[in-house]
Amino acid sequence: MSVFYFAALFSASLLGACQHSEPRDAGSVRDDFGAAVIVGAPPRRIVSLNPTTTEVLFAIGAGSRLVGRSMYDAFPESALAVPNLGAALRPNVEAIIGAKPDLVLLYASQDNRDASERLRQAGIATAALRIDSIAQFERDTRLIGRITGDSVRANMVVDSVRATLDRVRAATRSLARPTVFFHTWDRPLITIGGGSFLNELVDIAGGRNVYGDLPGPSGIVTVEDVVRRNPDYVFASPITAKNLRADPRWQALPAVRAGHVLVFDTLVVGRPSVTLGAAARSLADLLHPGAVR
Amino acid sequence: MTPTRWLLLALTVVGVSILAIAVGTIPVPISAIWDAVRGTGDTQLTYVVRALRLPRVVMASLVGVGLGMSGAALQGTMRNPLAEPYLLGVSGGAAVGAVLGQAAGVGGVFLPLAAFAGAIVAVLAAFVVAHAAGARGDPRVLLMAGVVVGAFANAAIMVILANAEPNTVRNALWWMMGSVGEAAWPQIAVLLGYILIGGGALVALGREIDVLALGEEAAAGLGLNVDTAIRRVFFVASLLAAATVAAAGLVGFVGLVVPHIARALGLRKHRPLLLASALVGATLVVSADLLGRVLRPPAELPLGAVTALVGVPFFLAKLRRLT
Repeated sequence: MSVFYFAALFSASLLGACQHSEPRDAGSVRDDFGAAVIVGAPPRRIVSLNPTTTEVLFAIGAGSRLVGRSMYDAFPESALAVPNLGAALRPNVEAIIGAKPDLVLLYASQDNRDASERLRQAGIATAALRIDSIAQFERDTRLIGRITGDSVRANMVVDSVRATLDRVRAATRSLARPTVFFHTWDRPLITIGGGSFLNELVDIAGGRNVYGDLPGPSGIVTVEDVVRRNPDYVFASPITAKNLRADPRWQALPAVRAGHVLVFDTLVVGRPSVTLGAAARSLADLLHPGAVR
Repeated sequence: MTPTRWLLLALTVVGVSILAIAVGTIPVPISAIWDAVRGTGDTQLTYVVRALRLPRVVMASLVGVGLGMSGAALQGTMRNPLAEPYLLGVSGGAAVGAVLGQAAGVGGVFLPLAAFAGAIVAVLAAFVVAHAAGARGDPRVLLMAGVVVGAFANAAIMVILANAEPNTVRNALWWMMGSVGEAAWPQIAVLLGYILIGGGALVALGREIDVLALGEEAAAGLGLNVDTAIRRVFFVASLLAAATVAAAGLVGFVGLVVPHIARALGLRKHRPLLLASALVGATLVVSADLLGRVLRPPAELPLGAVTALVGVPFFLAKLRRLT
């Protein structure tokens, strides 16, 4: 789980998600703050402050037009050559303006409302996009393709991810569905809720999130409540898995005592991006080894 | 206080602790607790009690003992009913010390010492500020100085964290809200050591605190070296508070409320007052932790938030009486 998505989920769970709006097919669409985004001449200098949008821009062939990224945007590797403008939530607006962009992509967290408004006031086209679910990834990838003039490749990316997801879903459909606790943060203890792409990925991979009933993308829970829900498996990052096994408190969870701690690859699973298909597959390989061919 | 009352006070701690072990997201029947503690009962309940409930209840009671005794000693020495480690900036200073210590890789037995160093700096700063304000005798001025020092400590932590990894920052902020939810036996053993040493030292100083409580002139008249005695009490009271901060973060207002309850039981001399404060403190913090767990399940309220919800109205009532 990347720090960015933790921070984003945390702020979303504390402040409440903002309203959604579906983009229309006109010359202008609305972003997740309800502000108009003009689709006109393709932008030539883009600042993207979200690991997903940055990765999508590279995937659709618009990576060379990036003039700024956030400190969390590390995918693909060539993104690291793009100037680092710092935080993705409550970003440094002056630094963004200094990069002279004609398009800024932000994550649609309440933390970014102020920055979005100030960039617009500075005359810079700005789109705040919420990317928590697979559907939002597909929608936003197509939208970014339209804005940057790379619709064909954007649609190809979406189709390719969807094909892999469908293949994993089909392979696990008839299998027993073990229950899963997805550990994303330790202090406080945070897990994924029904509103997260990870909840969908667990489902596609042939499992069931014990906290799927949490309405938002994430929520603060307690070890005791996890014990009460008694998941069959725990998904954890490599570091967390090590800590879990050593922490006497977690011995209260039968899954941990039984050694059912599944270590996921944070580089593949941590973000709702072009890796979604690979992520679903890697989780399926952990839950149902050999099921996906 | 009669032996019966002491027994009742002790039984209250035991009763609240048993309740705190029994109540939670997973109910543990009171009849099953003893079996679980010994490890002879249901396996799952044994794990819940041994790994989750018992450590946090023991930790909470020790934090209460430390803060209650620290508050009783500070209130007596300063003749100030509003004195307590949190409001005097002692806990804030301890937090800075602990954060710096952790950044430098200090842990285990030595972490409380790092917190203690921060606490001592904060105490000195509060005294200097109060002295500079020229009103050493006014209890409210020293409190204000303490609050200012506490605010400065908070700012210092923010500055320290500004360049830290986001992970570290979130963990540190969570820790500062106060919690015994992550209690583990090695940590508890360290805290117990400091509580035994510090608490024992305060009880030994009980007579001196009695004399100090008469006022500085009267104490000097009775042949006490007032400055040395005050320093000694502050030193030990700060050590106790620092040990609780290193273990459980910032838990405010316990040191304020507890001695008042102990005095309401009719205690005036400081040896019994300190012992009663230890028992009342344990009861209060175990109850506060229990409350934090059951108020909005399955979420847990930070311990420091619960004690502040109880402590702030209490503080305002006492402040009104003082003015």
